[in-house]
Amino acid sequence: MKSIVKLYLSVLFALVSTLAFAQVDRTKAPEPTAAPEINIAKPYSFTLKNGLKVYVVENHKLPRVAFSLSLDRDPILEKDKAGYVSMAGQLLTKGTKNRTKAELDAEIDFIGANINASSTGLYATSLTKHKDKLMELMTDILFNPAFPEDELEKLKKQTLSGLAASKDDPNSIASDVRGTLVYGKDHPYGEFTTEESVENITLADAKKYYETYFKPNIAYLAIVGDITPKEAEKLIKKNFGKWEKGNIPTAEYAMPKAPEKTYVALVDREASVQSVINVTYPVDLKVGSDDVIKARVLNQILGGGFSSRLMQNLREDKAFTYGARSSLSSDKLVGSFTASASVRNEVTDSAVYEFMSELKKITTEGVTQQELDAAKASIAGSFARSLESPQTVASFAINTAIYNLPADYYTNYLKRLEAVTLEDVKAMAQKYILPGNANILVVGKGEDVAQGLKQFGEVKYFDRKGNEYDPKDNMEIPEGVTAQTVMQNYFAALGGKEKLMTVNNMKMVYEASVQGQTINLSFVKNNTGSMQEVSMMGMVITKSVFDGENVKVVQQGQEIPVPDDKKLDLAIDAKVFPELHYDELSIGYELKSIDDLNGKSAYAVKVTMPSGSTSTDYFDLESGLKIKSLTTQKTPAGEMTVTQEFKAYEEFDGVKVPSKLSINQGMPIDATLKSAEVNTDLADDVFLIK
Amino acid sequence: MIKKLNFVFFILAAVFSAQAQNKQIEFKEFDLDNGIHVILHQDNTTPIVVVSVMYHVGSKNENPERTGFAHFFEHLLFEGSENIKRGEFDKYITNAGGVNNANTSNDRTYYYEVLPSNQLKLGLWLESERLLHANIDQVGVETQREVVKEEKRQRVDNQPYGSILSEIAKRAYTVHPYRWTTIGSLDHLNAASLDEFMDFYETFYVPENATVSIAGDINMDEARELVEQYFGDIPKGKNEIPRPDIVEPEQKEEVRDTIYDNIQLPAVIQAYHMPEQGSEDSYALEMLSTVLSGGQSARMYKSLVDEQQKALQVVAIPFSSEDPGLYLLFGLPTIGGNLKDLEESMDAEVNKLKDELITETEFQKVRNQVENDFISGNSTMTGIAESLANYHVYFGDANLINNEIDRYMAVTREDIQRVAKKYLTKDNRVVLYYLPKSQQNN
Repeated sequence: MKSIVKLYLSVLFALVSTLAFAQVDRTKAPEPTAAPEINIAKPYSFTLKNGLKVYVVENHKLPRVAFSLSLDRDPILEKDKAGYVSMAGQLLTKGTKNRTKAELDAEIDFIGANINASSTGLYATSLTKHKDKLMELMTDILFNPAFPEDELEKLKKQTLSGLAASKDDPNSIASDVRGTLVYGKDHPYGEFTTEESVENITLADAKKYYETYFKPNIAYLAIVGDITPKEAEKLIKKNFGKWEKGNIPTAEYAMPKAPEKTYVALVDREASVQSVINVTYPVDLKVGSDDVIKARVLNQILGGGFSSRLMQNLREDKAFTYGARSSLSSDKLVGSFTASASVRNEVTDSAVYEFMSELKKITTEGVTQQELDAAKASIAGSFARSLESPQTVASFAINTAIYNLPADYYTNYLKRLEAVTLEDVKAMAQKYILPGNANILVVGKGEDVAQGLKQFGEVKYFDRKGNEYDPKDNMEIPEGVTAQTVMQNYFAALGGKEKLMTVNNMKMVYEASVQGQTINLSFVKNNTGSMQEVSMMGMVITKSVFDGENVKVVQQGQEIPVPDDKKLDLAIDAKVFPELHYDELSIGYELKSIDDLNGKSAYAVKVTMPSGSTSTDYFDLESGLKIKSLTTQKTPAGEMTVTQEFKAYEEFDGVKVPSKLSINQGMPIDATLKSAEVNTDLADDVFLIK
Repeated sequence: MIKKLNFVFFILAAVFSAQAQNKQIEFKEFDLDNGIHVILHQDNTTPIVVVSVMYHVGSKNENPERTGFAHFFEHLLFEGSENIKRGEFDKYITNAGGVNNANTSNDRTYYYEVLPSNQLKLGLWLESERLLHANIDQVGVETQREVVKEEKRQRVDNQPYGSILSEIAKRAYTVHPYRWTTIGSLDHLNAASLDEFMDFYETFYVPENATVSIAGDINMDEARELVEQYFGDIPKGKNEIPRPDIVEPEQKEEVRDTIYDNIQLPAVIQAYHMPEQGSEDSYALEMLSTVLSGGQSARMYKSLVDEQQKALQVVAIPFSSEDPGLYLLFGLPTIGGNLKDLEESMDAEVNKLKDELITETEFQKVRNQVENDFISGNSTMTGIAESLANYHVYFGDANLINNEIDRYMAVTREDIQRVAKKYLTKDNRVVLYYLPKSQQNN
């Protein structure tokens, strides 16, 4: 009986499918066939006597093989040497006891391979036929790094120029300050590399790190590609068998807490035309915990992709920003939530309002079935696509071991994703979305945005380093202090007004190192004419000369005409001490405020030049000297801010001159004074226009 | 001693390439009655499938008065069809957990979806709807015109160095359609009537101009059957497909110019005319670019970036195309650096290649790098589907996915020297200096 039914059914099916083949119903989207089974291969694994755990994912589709070694250690608090751990990793590929960096580069390129190192691992890949050579190079890097002194110096230099470039970058500021707000400065996730910490790093620090942590007993090696487990085992035993284990230090850190009450952390950045907004706090969400998948669904709906609520609201609907998103991360120590966007100054408070109302809405109302289905499909699709890379399969196995996940964590991932309900998502929102306990970090122009942000909680001010300060302490200008008195103090600090009045000319030469090149900056002024020149290795790159009437600017051999409005400023620029002549030349200047410049209080004086361009000059409260100047220029490419900092004043013939100069015009340059001459004999042709 | 070493290299190289050839990308291909070419690659490792269609139409097929059409269609054809409502095309894909994209070159236009493999039919439905009866109306044209404007703003106008290709192209070509770039002219798009868009669609979006390439978790027979169902009854085109046969005359003297752009750092770009893709000389030129800028030990990188620190970046990029394309050298000087000085150093490296044969060791290094890159190109289903389609459309030989490497391996050291002398000459190039707008004459 049963078999007859079966027969009948199969005939019917055959009929139905023939019919279907003959005619496709184009009017609606075809239904999917049965969900495919996702098979996640179980890697072949073994452990060496020294504790090295090895995972082999065989995949012979292409004749390639990749070795990826990762170390599992507790995060390290680097304190006043922040950055040394990362440098130790970068130094590994900069030469070994057997090969210089150039030799290493040449040998890696020769076999068409790639080798990258970091502080927690090493990645090497090549075609299968070169695997023995690859293994030789990889193990040479791993076991015999030379840590050359000059390479550390190069790295430090690169890091410092990177820091200089990011010092004033609003996104870097947000990222650094966010860390300190969310995790605290005494947490490894809360510290960041600074110019001071880079200076403190020594070769011994890097070596010690390497010697302590590059040990097999905390190492996981994934081998992926065109290799059999047997071959792999032989290769690894031979090459890694003698690697000696060691005692690895462990560390524990206090659990960071979300703020008791939501407040605004404002980093006041005067040059900002956009505010970077981060609504952020720590969450206790451990890798592999039951909540992780449900929380991922929640975040996908809130701010995970293009169709997320935040993107639809802030970008599509309100057009406040090019992109708004959120992340809800799980971690071994402590996870975090962040919702972020960059928006125009004038909509900063409106954007924060929308962020906060989306956070509240999702905790009270939850999500819709349609949103839930779309989020699940999107996550499942991206999970499936990620499996295409055999590297993913290896990382699943290693994560399972490192985080002690259940053996079926990844194989049942999609099942558990499918099981997530509307109630689950709402519960996750109530647990992890905390609009009442958030740091609302805003990096932006305080003058424009602070007032509007008060509605979200107390507005606290933080400096570039994440230290809170009270702007009120600085804001109140003491009785009797005016722009004029600030200038008088400045003249006194420079050497006295009397003295300055006797200065007829001055010549200064600074030297700067830019990407390893030495450039010279010369400035000559005689109260009537001026000359500025930038040169490199004896070649003039740019030169501008003003003879009191005419001006000529030459850049890389080409003459650049000077716009008429700029010409209006030339007379004042030719003065050795322009401030002495503000009143006589009707230059507008007014005392705006007292600002905090990374811990130093300074008078901010706004100066308006004849051309209409403005600058804000900062005069140190303590010394009276000018320490910083911000100039906003209109260029065809839009407004541009040039920052100059004046440091370490030294005296020359009774006049103080800054011996350090930092100029940032999108590209930071640090210059050191080489010579300064006051009332010197100038060559006749110095202001001659040729 | 050196001679002996060379000999060993040759033996090893021979053995290696024999080994490498064991790993073949297997595929099946066939034509439907209406002329659609179909290529199927089965790999059941991961439950995903890539469904793609390549149309043999690019910017070079455009009317010089209507440039930007091919690329505009890449946008317009997401507007829906008789059975797909406006704005729904992408939604079907995201709701199925898939991703999709499209791209246009001088020579062809390519559409693809990456879907869970149980959604193969969905991909076929969407793509066949696009070919059979896409929705081309005034609303769609106007919407997409705005999107393309925004794209041009982002990718060309506001992108540092984003105008390089168009600035080079209009100086390097005088008559060939490569003189305009795929983004084309917004004025042309504004001026075009709906009929002109319809006509373009009916001319180029026809079965005989389409290659369907599918890669992933499929069953060959079932996939073949489904492709026939969805694409089999699409009628052939009525117009003849225009294929330009314009030959660009030889450039007789160097062209030089200065461009002011929204950039912080100046740059120097040299563009040399090169032969069409697939020719022996084009393979030699591609290997030459690896000699100059493939990896940290490559000549230009090591000398100009690492040792002399004259440049932050120097790269050689061959833009191979169906008709003779361009070979670009791009140099970014270190801050304060001088463009002329950098250009002279780049020329010096090129001249060295003309004066001396590269060493056997360096040659072997380049062969190894090229082989590694070639093989690694086939590591994803997306890559395989597109390569199969490209090889069929350009060369009529999809199997080049397996053996094009032989053409690279046939290049000799002498070939590299010869092509350097033949193509990398002063008279055969366009040189542009890119300078920051702040330095522009007002």
